Amino acid sequence: MRQGFRTSMAWLHAWSGLVVGWILFAVFVTGTASYYRAEISQWMRPELRAVQADPVRSAEHAVAFLKTRMPDAAGWYIELPKPEKPVIGVHWWKSLEGPFHQALLDPETGAPTAARDTKGGDFLYRFHFELGMPPMLGRYLVGACALVMLVALVSGIVTHRRIFADFFTFRRDRSAQRGWLDAHNVTGVLALPFHLMITYTGLVTLAPMYMPWGVQTAYKGDQIRFYVEAGMMPEMAAPLGRPGTLAPVGPIVAAAAARIGEAPEGISIYSPGDARPAVVAIFEEPHGLAHLHPQIAFDGATGAMLGEAGTAKAATVTSAVMVGLHEGHFAGPVLRALFFLCGVMGAATVATGLVLWTVARAPKGAQAAGFGLRLVRVLNIGAVAGMPAAIAGYFLANRLLPLGLADRAQWEVGAFFGFWILLALLGALRPAMRAWPEALGLTGALYLAVPVVSALATGEHALAGTRFLGFDLAMLALGAGLILAARKAARRGASALNSRRIPGMTGEEALRA
Amino acid sequence: MTPVVVLLNLALCFAGFGALALSLDRHHRDALGGRVPAARILPQRLGGWGLILLSLAAAVMLEGWNFGPVQWIGALTGAALLVVALLSYRPSWLRPAALAALPLGGLLLPVVLMG
Amino acid sequence: MSARSVGSRYRAAVLGRVLLAALGGYAVAALATGLLALVLPMPRSEAVVTATLLSFTVMVAVVVGVFAMRSLGRAALLVGGLALPLGAGLWLAQALAGAA
Repeated sequence: MRQGFRTSMAWLHAWSGLVVGWILFAVFVTGTASYYRAEISQWMRPELRAVQADPVRSAEHAVAFLKTRMPDAAGWYIELPKPEKPVIGVHWWKSLEGPFHQALLDPETGAPTAARDTKGGDFLYRFHFELGMPPMLGRYLVGACALVMLVALVSGIVTHRRIFADFFTFRRDRSAQRGWLDAHNVTGVLALPFHLMITYTGLVTLAPMYMPWGVQTAYKGDQIRFYVEAGMMPEMAAPLGRPGTLAPVGPIVAAAAARIGEAPEGISIYSPGDARPAVVAIFEEPHGLAHLHPQIAFDGATGAMLGEAGTAKAATVTSAVMVGLHEGHFAGPVLRALFFLCGVMGAATVATGLVLWTVARAPKGAQAAGFGLRLVRVLNIGAVAGMPAAIAGYFLANRLLPLGLADRAQWEVGAFFGFWILLALLGALRPAMRAWPEALGLTGALYLAVPVVSALATGEHALAGTRFLGFDLAMLALGAGLILAARKAARRGASALNSRRIPGMTGEEALRA
Repeated sequence: MTPVVVLLNLALCFAGFGALALSLDRHHRDALGGRVPAARILPQRLGGWGLILLSLAAAVMLEGWNFGPVQWIGALTGAALLVVALLSYRPSWLRPAALAALPLGGLLLPVVLMG
Repeated sequence: MSARSVGSRYRAAVLGRVLLAALGGYAVAALATGLLALVLPMPRSEAVVTATLLSFTVMVAVVVGVFAMRSLGRAALLVGGLALPLGAGLWLAQALAGAA
């Protein structure tokens, strides 16, 4: 980094990519899976069937349940049933610092649902920005990694000399280093608009947390005031601080639905035990890119309508469009598949970059690999093969754990981390030449097992119905892809071994220990 | 309608990228053998960029300024990936595939315009 | 730049840049956000959103700048040269807003 601009950027790219690569890979994989969060949740709760639920009755069921759980909560949130999630989701909390409790209720009876206890796709979604850590810590860590990713993207563009001449180039038949470099370039460059978009918009999604200083100076830190003025939240009455009774929620939902022309997707109730609670009906975002949900506030004591959120102006809409682009809720099936493909390419860019780091630094000839290089190799296998294996393990646990198990959802999460650790150990303990093929092959086998285990455990399979056909096919495709990758890795390892003593072939030895 | 527009974008971008790739010696050698005839470089590049721009114009016309560019960029990545995959595994298929994508795009265009 | 040839001076210089890029970059971005939110000629909420959206670009630019500079001293000058005027501007803007 004492040399020219391009050299220092190449250095920055290699090292910034390495230090955040393992976390970024996990973030990309779980984030990409989250494009199908609703489908994953449906698959993980096979007991649920689509029902026509009445929003008014559902909201009343939810409030009756929440009153027994935490009448003096700081807030409740009710997710009304929708076709892809035919249950009432209820959330309640004593303080904004958490803990946040939640349950799923049957929309017919209002009792906790009989569906198996699982976090479903929501676990992968939250892991995507919280890493299974305490939420604040995880979010800061992911934010820091995303910023370094932006730096790596910018320095990578500067470093990559011949972006357009090499645009289509993937020389898989040349040396290992050449092949990995081409793969890194192709996955990085072809989906570059997506990579830049997803990283920047990811930061914007949590910007109020990462960059609160504008609100700090212009609003003296009053976030609520800011959201109201920006048109992201309706004006709400402050609680009075003495106990009172919440007005019936059914008429509020009916009034909100009449106002907008469709049922709300959720109801927030702040200080439900206060003499002046606030009730906010939140609607599905209108068809468009922006992530701006229409909202109507009600006085929770009288049930009177207070007003709607204001109209967002240019900058706020821009920001909401960025959040909308990140989440991709607007995307239909084909576009969502393309987003998914781009997400996979993002994960592949990170993974090939990580492998390339080790290949480019592989010792020449008979030299033994140093500790740092061995450590990076082990971590690479643990991250790149371990993350997909963890997800497969999570799916398998969903089908195999006894339905009556206490804390069942927590056990599924345990399986996620258990499989991850198992794969990482395999990568660390097996000889380096065998580690990649074995880890990838085992992960592929886990994915192939998912539809089989699911069919045996639930009796749901392609011949019995098409409900989970898409999910099963996706699992089979992932499994087949991983096994193909394992076979390639095995062949590379073997050819590297054969060329061991040819001095000019050191690049091929990269995957050898 | 939207899936058809994405397909249209994919077809036009694929044909465009195919033309661009085959205007480069390295890929021309793999796909067809020999260097690119000098007289073909410029028309192929212009045609390639033209098809990609046409795809953007179609996306914006059919889907508007908000969804159009987003879908177009998605299709751009998908089409480019397809070209790279063909070049790596079946280079000789690239030209026929790109030539086939052209009438497909031509067929889809009136369909979406009338629908 | 293999692991064997790096001396402790080199390591210290790298550590210095990393710290400068992370802390200095964030400080400059935070000051710029706080200042722009006050002075941009648009409604208050819009100024806050615009400043926040730009903040990540600012930070990435500073990080790249810190690593592109010829020496650690120059990199420190870059960060200081950005942070000081921004800090002074913010102080002034807040003082004026307080007086108004």
